[in-house]
Amino acid sequence: MLMTDDSAPFRDTFDQLLATVAEPAWLTTRRRAEMDRFALLGFPTRRQEAWRFTDLEPLIAAPPLPAHPLPAAGGDDGPAPASLAPWLLPVPTHRLVLVDGRFAPALSAGGALPAGVWLASAAETLRRRPDMLERAFGEGEEAFAALNAALFTDGVVLALEPGVVLETPVEIIHHTRSAAHARLHIALGAGAQAMVVETAIGTGTGWSNTVGVITLGAGATLTHLHIQAEDPAACHTTAVRAVLADQARYETCTLITGGRLSRRDVAVTLAGDGAQFRLHGAYLLDGGQEATLSVRANHLGLGCRTEEVVKGVLAGASHGVFLGTVAVAPSADGTDARQLNRNLLLSPQARVDTKPELEILADDVKCSHGATVGSLDEASLFYLQARGIDPDAARRMLVEAFAVDAIDAAGLPDALAALARRHLRRWLDGGAS
Amino acid sequence: MSKLLEIRGLRARIANGREVLKGIDLDVAAGEVHAIMGPNGAGKSTLSSVLAGKPGYEVTGGTVRYLGQDLLAMPADERAREGVFLAFQYPVEIPGVNNMYFLRAALNAGRRQRGQAELDAQQFLKAVRDRLKLLDIGDDLLRRAVNVGFSGGEKKRNEIFQMAMLEPKLAILDETDSGLDIDALRAVSDGVNRLRDPARAIVMITHYQRLLDYIVPDRVHVLADGRIVASGDKTFAAELERTGYAYLGDAA
Repeated sequence: MLMTDDSAPFRDTFDQLLATVAEPAWLTTRRRAEMDRFALLGFPTRRQEAWRFTDLEPLIAAPPLPAHPLPAAGGDDGPAPASLAPWLLPVPTHRLVLVDGRFAPALSAGGALPAGVWLASAAETLRRRPDMLERAFGEGEEAFAALNAALFTDGVVLALEPGVVLETPVEIIHHTRSAAHARLHIALGAGAQAMVVETAIGTGTGWSNTVGVITLGAGATLTHLHIQAEDPAACHTTAVRAVLADQARYETCTLITGGRLSRRDVAVTLAGDGAQFRLHGAYLLDGGQEATLSVRANHLGLGCRTEEVVKGVLAGASHGVFLGTVAVAPSADGTDARQLNRNLLLSPQARVDTKPELEILADDVKCSHGATVGSLDEASLFYLQARGIDPDAARRMLVEAFAVDAIDAAGLPDALAALARRHLRRWLDGGAS
Repeated sequence: MSKLLEIRGLRARIANGREVLKGIDLDVAAGEVHAIMGPNGAGKSTLSSVLAGKPGYEVTGGTVRYLGQDLLAMPADERAREGVFLAFQYPVEIPGVNNMYFLRAALNAGRRQRGQAELDAQQFLKAVRDRLKLLDIGDDLLRRAVNVGFSGGEKKRNEIFQMAMLEPKLAILDETDSGLDIDALRAVSDGVNRLRDPARAIVMITHYQRLLDYIVPDRVHVLADGRIVASGDKTFAAELERTGYAYLGDAA
């Protein structure tokens, strides 16, 4: 029978993958199931509410495929190490670089790990601790996550035993030129703490499709900075799923500046009581770029908090989308949730769609949500010019002030905040006015 | 004395609106302080806006020469870099832009224009401290975003502080006294007085004679219905205080 569903372009890659990797039987079974699931679901369409504003055509028309045959680990001609320098944290880190979704040891610098910390590539984890990986696959994935589970070749696994505080940040660089289906698994035991910085870069018309699976034990804290700075011709899709136990904190900041088409889905379940989820971030777009940031907070526990502040800066003919849902279950009394999405349109061709929503089934909750769309304030522009600052510099100053707030409010540790600000300035210098 | 500012027959209107300035003639020399007074709606703020290059106004006639150059042909930022300073009636709050960062950018923009080397962070800080001392104001304003959370008095002081830093040749003070209590008025006036300089002209626009008790002008002009209808020396202000603007309505 001839298959003509959306999985068709991936079937050859999939078959070659299964033929070349030596994996446990459960994983092969899982991959087949996920491929079938993707075949069943197909790419999302605009008829689906969550995808109404996202134009996937550039991706669907010719989805980039992983390079084949897979290069031997370590034998890859990855990017020049110097080209990564601008993206690195200004402090010592545990660094793992993934090139086209595969761990590149030559570019990485794991460093010595304290006791109680597991940090390794997904491939190595599969060899040594397959149980860790097996736990992190879910049922009923969405289309992109299903495709990732079917095709993934590598990724990063970070696991902290209870009470372990990893002081040194974990730095993950995704460098993509063709296609990458990487997995990021983070599991923090009760009271554990970690900082993770993920930076997605690359060259050409690649496609990075990453899945992140995060579980935080009671009282654990994860700080997670995500910088998406892909090539302007690239496609980028990520799905992050986090589950928080009692008093756990997930603090994340996301900066989206790259890609022709970009979509980041963050779904956080505040399962325990008193858990906290804070998401700050900005999408900064120009030319014909489109980016969607979709955030869902599922409140199940008592007295949990969600705080989201997302800024959008849209220049050229770019298109930004913010979808934010806070869902409060009947059990989740004492929920305190705030969502704010503010957008700055810098050109008449730029567009934004914003949709913060609440689904409240509990009685005792405090929820607010808001969205604004505006242009640069003329009075502020004139004030700056009246002091001798030229119009381009004045606009840059106001755009930076608008966007940097998303970084400042995130309350990141200094080194992470510095990296985020550096990236914001790079974007401001690179272009939009 | 050489004329710093020469305004001849200046006519202007609010964009697509009514004509507000109906033929202004005014000469200001370096070192002089001029006060322009007049009733509400006379065109005082329009005059300062047009001189500073604020968008939303159309010049429909006349000329303005500043140091011999055609001021109206320059964009607002260039006027500022050439030494024209407008102290705003309502200084704008700019969240997220630090006062020091902003001021250093402004100062160095002017220095670049004049072919001077930019001030580095240390040199800039020294200049800031010198001016704070001169004006006798604390440094707490500097750590905040531009005018954000400032009281009315603090905003006006910040304007004068900026003037001290940017060292303009022509300072236009637009209703700098409005909204100030007596202590704040005194503090702001003291600042302006310390910035009087033989090389600098100051044009004060005000509704109230009160300001002129603190900053004593060389010349006083009355603006009514878009024209300067009367001018005199500093004693003229006191006369106006007694008689009001009413009789000038007839004169206009």
